[in-house]
Amino acid sequence: MTDRTAETHMDTAPESSNSIAPDRRAIVKGMATAGLAAGVALPTYLRGFETSAYAQTSAPVKMGFIEDESGNLSVYGIQKLHAAQLAVAEINAGKTLKGAPDIGAGFLGAEATVAKNPPVISKEGTSLAVVDDGGAKSPVDLAYVEDADILVDSGEKGILGRELQLLSSDGQSNNAVWQQLARKLIQEDKVDVLVAGFASAEREAIRPIVDQFKQLYFYTNQYEGGVADANTFCTGPVCEQQVIPTVQYMVEKYGPKCYTIAADYNFGQLTAAWTKAFIPLVGGKIIGEEFIPLSVSEFSQVIARIQAAKPDWVMTLLVGQNHHNYYPQAAAAGLKYPMASTVNMAQGYEHKRFAPPSLARMHNAIQYQLEVPTARNRAFVKRWMTMFPNDPYIGEMAQNTYFTIHLYAKAARLAHTVDQQKVKRCLELGWNIEAPEGSVFLEPGTHHCAHPIRLAYCDEKHNVSFLRDWPMIQAWWLQRLGVNLIRSPEFKQYTPDEDPYFKMFTI
Amino acid sequence: MDVIGVVASIVYQFCTNTAFLLLCALGLIVILGMMNIINLAHGELMMMGAYAASATYSRGAPFWLAAIIAFIAVGIFGTLLEVTIVRRFYGRELGALVVTWGVSLVLSQGFLLLFGPFMPPIQIPEGNIALGQYSFSYYWIAMFVVAALLVAALWWIYNRTDIGLQARATMQNPSMARALGVDTRRIYMMTFTLGAALAGLSGALLAPTTSIMPFMGQQFVASAFITVVVGGATNVIAGAVGSSLLLSLVKTPIGFFLGAFLGTVALLLAALIIIRLIPDGLSAAIQRRLDLRHRMR
Repeated sequence: MTDRTAETHMDTAPESSNSIAPDRRAIVKGMATAGLAAGVALPTYLRGFETSAYAQTSAPVKMGFIEDESGNLSVYGIQKLHAAQLAVAEINAGKTLKGAPDIGAGFLGAEATVAKNPPVISKEGTSLAVVDDGGAKSPVDLAYVEDADILVDSGEKGILGRELQLLSSDGQSNNAVWQQLARKLIQEDKVDVLVAGFASAEREAIRPIVDQFKQLYFYTNQYEGGVADANTFCTGPVCEQQVIPTVQYMVEKYGPKCYTIAADYNFGQLTAAWTKAFIPLVGGKIIGEEFIPLSVSEFSQVIARIQAAKPDWVMTLLVGQNHHNYYPQAAAAGLKYPMASTVNMAQGYEHKRFAPPSLARMHNAIQYQLEVPTARNRAFVKRWMTMFPNDPYIGEMAQNTYFTIHLYAKAARLAHTVDQQKVKRCLELGWNIEAPEGSVFLEPGTHHCAHPIRLAYCDEKHNVSFLRDWPMIQAWWLQRLGVNLIRSPEFKQYTPDEDPYFKMFTI
Repeated sequence: MDVIGVVASIVYQFCTNTAFLLLCALGLIVILGMMNIINLAHGELMMMGAYAASATYSRGAPFWLAAIIAFIAVGIFGTLLEVTIVRRFYGRELGALVVTWGVSLVLSQGFLLLFGPFMPPIQIPEGNIALGQYSFSYYWIAMFVVAALLVAALWWIYNRTDIGLQARATMQNPSMARALGVDTRRIYMMTFTLGAALAGLSGALLAPTTSIMPFMGQQFVASAFITVVVGGATNVIAGAVGSSLLLSLVKTPIGFFLGAFLGTVALLLAALIIIRLIPDGLSAAIQRRLDLRHRMR
């Protein structure tokens, strides 16, 4: 059979190249290559045929995974890779996270005595040692306690009896490589689900490829918001969940005058636009804005301009290793303004990488960072450090990746298939999942998650405490824009310019 | 308006910008300026200096000692690099460019694999003085002084010592120098070692201002090359000093009044204009002026 097929190839090869009249050697070479290709291709074709005939009971479920394991963004990418490896190992060992479609988060209401202040968690190590437990305790009537134990038995090993296989690739912090890897995973490896993306640029580079092949795609990173794509589920927090609580707290506590310094690319500009649009609603104003190119690493001039402006607090939306140098330089120059951010500390663990007091007085509203002092998070950190004892930190994106993979497993199990369109429908039921951060809800129409949010505060010694908790903040912006991906599927990203409410109060 | 404060702030920023450019360019002055090796691994040599400093500092050494150890360690590495690789590319500039780029890739990824994504930070030495509403960190003031001293030391080595004389002769005309008894291979090796050691020292000195990661060298490379190229090869040291002063003079006021982005734009435009008008660099133009005056005397 092999010979006959090869013969067909041999017949066509010389015919097609007749007009150019090649020499004999070229024809023979061409036939040999065609024969070789056919010979190599055939067994694979046969194999594929076999597998589908066996109704997929033994083939693994393939999860495509792309993160930056090298290059500038590797400090984030490696954490996310470890998160994926931990989740896949747990799923294959027969474990899953608690959670079910359609229900909301539930707590135990119990009588408790509480301290006046939140506990302060030490920056040393990863054991979440409590440095200050918040002071004298006085009785209160009822407190809400969430489930401590979130990892439960799934009843089977893997997904639907099949092993979950993580096909991870290194994007090398290079968008062109990301596109190549996305194509390879989607078209060649035919993955059942794709979990990828750190920077918004990386996500936008591969989203067209995802849409072209209707690939089920999870983007687990915090970002500037606005992605309305029927194939994409964004499980990270967005601006309305991070910028707004932070700005409200800072204006309330420190005063109305804010100076913004932001990275000069789409994320920095969009987040600064959110800050500018929201701050008048709470009585504040932006007295100065500076967009700093990503290549700048020396900040004396920026610092001098901030000192000249004399704000009450500074909004720092700095991204990348060059920008992080702002913190030690500002501290050395004697800058003591309270700072707020939506990106620093919880992802790149600057409070551990820089010597105190560089990040003193930093506030960040996040859904998760390592120091969250709940029982379920302590258990999660312990599991992680057992598998990866040398890891310095577990950042917010890593935790997102972890619960997202568990969520996918639950949805596939409920749908009784890994067929991508069916799993997407199943995900659109609306899911509650008990993550280490707390109870997360995947909203049906917007494909985004409602998250519990905490305001992290870094003190002079870089110890962390959470000054205010919001049990659940919805990702309401896409709802306000009227996005309903179930009723009318879309494949775009909205920007604040398309929202008339943004300009209501800005000058 | 606090005039004294503003003036002091602008002078301070000028000194900071100049110090930054000079420190970035220090190692490259020797290697590119004197040996004409386009060393794309310059950033990685600085990174290695920062790593060496971080490793010794975190074991309790004082900062100045950590910097000296970085100087020695990267110098030794420079010797090894020269003997094994760079030696084969003298006179072949494009080859040197490609091979040093390869070395930079190996070094940065290698350090990521060996030491992980970051090293323990070095705290910026404490202290700042306040003047009106502005405050100035002692560290940058010290860096300006140190950069000036290093440049002066470099100038002294090259113009007032025997070794410096031999080095200059070798750069000008290697075959004649050899004929006069100068061991050119040793001079090349020593010069490259010095360039690498200086890059390591700069990396160590600038380490407190940045997070010490395998790719930290990238932030210094562009500034280093611009400074050295704008300075020109005619008189490398004077050229580098002149170009860093001139470029800072352009960047500082614009950066202060209009923001860091436009400051950087102004610096790059200034570099562009200077190179367009004086392709051989500032030092060439100054040298021509001096020669003209000398001839007219």
